Amino acid sequence: MMQIKNLHAKIGEKEILKGVNLALEKGKVHVLMGTNGSGKSTLTKAIVGHYDVSVTAGTIEYKGKNLVDMPAEERALEGVFLSFQNPIEIPGVNNAYFLRAALNAKEKYRGEKETNAAEFLKLMRAHAQKLGMNPDMISRGLNDGFSGGEKKRNEILQMEILQPDMILLDEIDSGLDIDALKAVSQGINRMKDGERTFLVITHYKRILDYIHPDYVHIFQDGQVIKNGGPELVDVLESEGYQAIVKD
Amino acid sequence: MKAVNLDLVHTEHPLYAKLQSMGMPANKTEQYRNFAIKPLLAQKYHFYNPEKSVPKEGEKLVITNGSVSEFPAGVQVRYESDFVCDNAHYDVLYFYSHAVSVQTIYVEVTRESRFELEHICNQAETFLPYRIVISTAKNIHVEIFETFRFDASEQSFVLYGLDAFVNTDTTLRWIRNASINQAQAKLVGTHRFDVAREGALELNTFDFGDANALHLYKIDLAEHAWSRAAHLLYANTQARSGNIIAINHNEVYAKSAQEARYILVDEAVGIFDSKIRVDAGAQHSHAVQNSKAILLSPHAHMYAKPQLEIYIDELEASHGATIGELDADALFYLNSRGIEAEEARKILVLAFAQSLIDSIGSSHYVEKINQAFEAAYYKKEQ
Repeated sequence: MMQIKNLHAKIGEKEILKGVNLALEKGKVHVLMGTNGSGKSTLTKAIVGHYDVSVTAGTIEYKGKNLVDMPAEERALEGVFLSFQNPIEIPGVNNAYFLRAALNAKEKYRGEKETNAAEFLKLMRAHAQKLGMNPDMISRGLNDGFSGGEKKRNEILQMEILQPDMILLDEIDSGLDIDALKAVSQGINRMKDGERTFLVITHYKRILDYIHPDYVHIFQDGQVIKNGGPELVDVLESEGYQAIVKD
Repeated sequence: MKAVNLDLVHTEHPLYAKLQSMGMPANKTEQYRNFAIKPLLAQKYHFYNPEKSVPKEGEKLVITNGSVSEFPAGVQVRYESDFVCDNAHYDVLYFYSHAVSVQTIYVEVTRESRFELEHICNQAETFLPYRIVISTAKNIHVEIFETFRFDASEQSFVLYGLDAFVNTDTTLRWIRNASINQAQAKLVGTHRFDVAREGALELNTFDFGDANALHLYKIDLAEHAWSRAAHLLYANTQARSGNIIAINHNEVYAKSAQEARYILVDEAVGIFDSKIRVDAGAQHSHAVQNSKAILLSPHAHMYAKPQLEIYIDELEASHGATIGELDADALFYLNSRGIEAEEARKILVLAFAQSLIDSIGSSHYVEKINQAFEAAYYKKEQ
């Protein structure tokens, strides 16, 4: 689904990604773990085309195209979705209006009929209910005054409505209570269809117990230093990152 | 044809001396420093003498070329040659407009009312000065929706103003919805609002378009009076537009809150110059002032001058001003969901404006203001 080859990137003058090589397989759940500041979030930003990140070398091949050359909105329209670690609050932009604009943009890009307002509200309400969201969040400002857990649920709501193909989840589990973690995990599991690919960044094992990853990659100092299966998580839990770095 | 100058004023009124001492505004006159008033005054105009026609009763208060042509039920209208003038006003054109207006329109609102005040100017190359005095009865709610229809008014200069008296326990909600274009008349409004004990003024102004237009206000608050002012301005091309406000807390427990949001495009210049003065006798005042401006083009300019002048200790007061571009993280968030850059900008600009439009609450004028804003914004975008 996605091949990242020798990716180098910097923020400002500081090089953060130092030759990332990572193959993300179609229909699989990949987990990326690493110490704080190792560059995991920068990798997701590079994939989605964040303005802060300058790619200086390497490629991100996806559906036969190099994403590095594409503007952010086109990457999204091609099916790449990032759930942000800290979703921004945008007061005044109605949550439903925003999400319908995003859905209509995708439908237009694909030459499909645009979902009208009534159909969309029905769709949004149904998804919000599954996620256990308060119905009034639909009509509130985008993430405006939402708690940390509500913001994460709202990210999953967007994911479920936009139905992307390549899903990046940057610490989707941080700051979630048990119920919210279950709701978010169930949302992720609903999206698993054997076709979509997930790259989940996390520091903790608990979300992995719900979403059952296929591959685990360890990130250190701007590079992937180890690839393996779910058993790597147990090694990390018992021995920490140093054991893997030494290995 | 003549230019606008002091030679035109022939009055025995004692305020003429004050007018002479102040002189006509020039490039360095503080209130007009960024508005370029001098070319506007130097231009030659026909001087229009308003007709005293007999107005008909209708739904709106309509002022056509300085004369009342229609008035709504519950409102009494008359003309007077003498005028109520606030000797302490800071703006010379306030006095000038009083002195050169042939007649003053007196509007008395005696009961709960909600009506539209429509200004019509259909004279080209004309100087049109007129003044309106609005007085309200005690303990009523009055909502006035002010609009402008300047057809065939190119190269004209409309100098008008309000002297509004908000009576005890009365609320005056003033909503200005002005969409004026460069090809139409230039507009200067110079106003005074006097809010009596426990009276309330809600001043909501919405100015859109590429015209040169400036409004100057002096607001006086008595004991337990309050005012809430919200100013939304969208200006494009080479417009110079803005609000200059002096809010005076003259007595105890007065409250004022003011919020301005400006959106400036192309080479437009926005002006927000506001001073809240809390007098020595106005203990327990509460004053809040905030202005935010978004510059959507590198050559757009914003002049923001929020000021507090305080002569007591017992009060709560704050002020602030920010000027910037659209938030890059917000733009990226929308882009990351597939919304293209231009559409994302529109969504954020509309959101910035929306909070002030929505702040006028359930008024049925919200839809009209939304339409006016979107017309101005999308016209620019097309």
